[in-house]
Amino acid sequence: MNINWHEKFARKGHELFLSELPIALHCHHYNLNLQKTLETSLGSDGALLLYQASEESSYVSFTSFIMQHPKITTIKSKLEIASTSYQYCGLGIINFKEIGPNGGRVVSPHSHHVTGWLAKFGRRDTPGCFFSRGWIAGVLAVIYNKHIGYYVVDELECKMTVARECVFEVTIA
Amino acid sequence: MAIDTDKIIHAVMQGSRIREEKGIIPLFGVYLSMISVQYYNRISFGFEKRAENRKYAQKLLVEAGQECGYTTFQGIRNSWEWDEVVKPMIETVEDQIHCFVSIAIAFGWGDLVVQEVVPEKKLVIHANDSYEAKGYLDAYGKADACKCYMLRGVTAALMDLVYGDGYPDGCFQYAAVERQCQAKGDPCCEFIARKAVR
Repeated sequence: MNINWHEKFARKGHELFLSELPIALHCHHYNLNLQKTLETSLGSDGALLLYQASEESSYVSFTSFIMQHPKITTIKSKLEIASTSYQYCGLGIINFKEIGPNGGRVVSPHSHHVTGWLAKFGRRDTPGCFFSRGWIAGVLAVIYNKHIGYYVVDELECKMTVARECVFEVTIA
Repeated sequence: MAIDTDKIIHAVMQGSRIREEKGIIPLFGVYLSMISVQYYNRISFGFEKRAENRKYAQKLLVEAGQECGYTTFQGIRNSWEWDEVVKPMIETVEDQIHCFVSIAIAFGWGDLVVQEVVPEKKLVIHANDSYEAKGYLDAYGKADACKCYMLRGVTAALMDLVYGDGYPDGCFQYAAVERQCQAKGDPCCEFIARKAVR
């Protein structure tokens, strides 16, 4: 099923919406500075907050999206739509190639957060795609009809550490 | 020439529909993302609540907004889109501030209005429906203090960019306060930036 994302992106007065849910445009300076502020101040709790915030917002957004499109019924088409929505939002490329209801692997060759982090702060020593990890956990819970928090997503390889691509492992919590 | 906010908003809306092959939105010299406001509010207010020193967390959130406003709008000011769409509208130094505010509206940060600019001294911005104030009210109910940390930092950043030392030395030469906030029941959010006291 083809989605016309341009039609889904709308301005009502001064507010922006994607598929009826309020969004904001922000650039890599803000997104990555927030990440650094949280990591520096709260350590692993800061990373967890970024992950959970992303998981919750992607869960809510994708649930709403699927409810608005009842013709999207198969797992395959839901995975495709999730991937194209990630791309439409300027978040990068995400491939759900080896994934099933019990977990699997997800690969991202490019992302907003990686490009932004490397441009702003340079190479990291540890994986840093907390937003993407949470985003994947949230959409997969919707796609496989599970509750939020059902999946845990870890990052095995990260381009912020100059790996070739970001590789995420999905397991059941 | 008056500042044509609608034209700037149109340029942002059109430009943000363009993706390059890596799924990135390069616009106005920065990489843009479209993310739910729920995410940003969860982060800001979650950070504020988890931090041992709440005042310090608030200060960091304002600084994040200010540093990012400074670098973001500098990137925007150096972009070809700025030269093409915005620059022809600018006649005075203060016009830059109005153009920056138009871009902030286009980004969905709120219904912002420049109330007063005193060159080099003071900037007053009013906001209706800032996503921070609205998000706080929705999630936690009426606040006992102002909650628009990002917009507060951005207000100071606009003065840094226009009246501060040349980039990148001008950041944090101005500081802003939020005197009223819709999250605590005020009729609008009001931000006032002045020279920082050092």
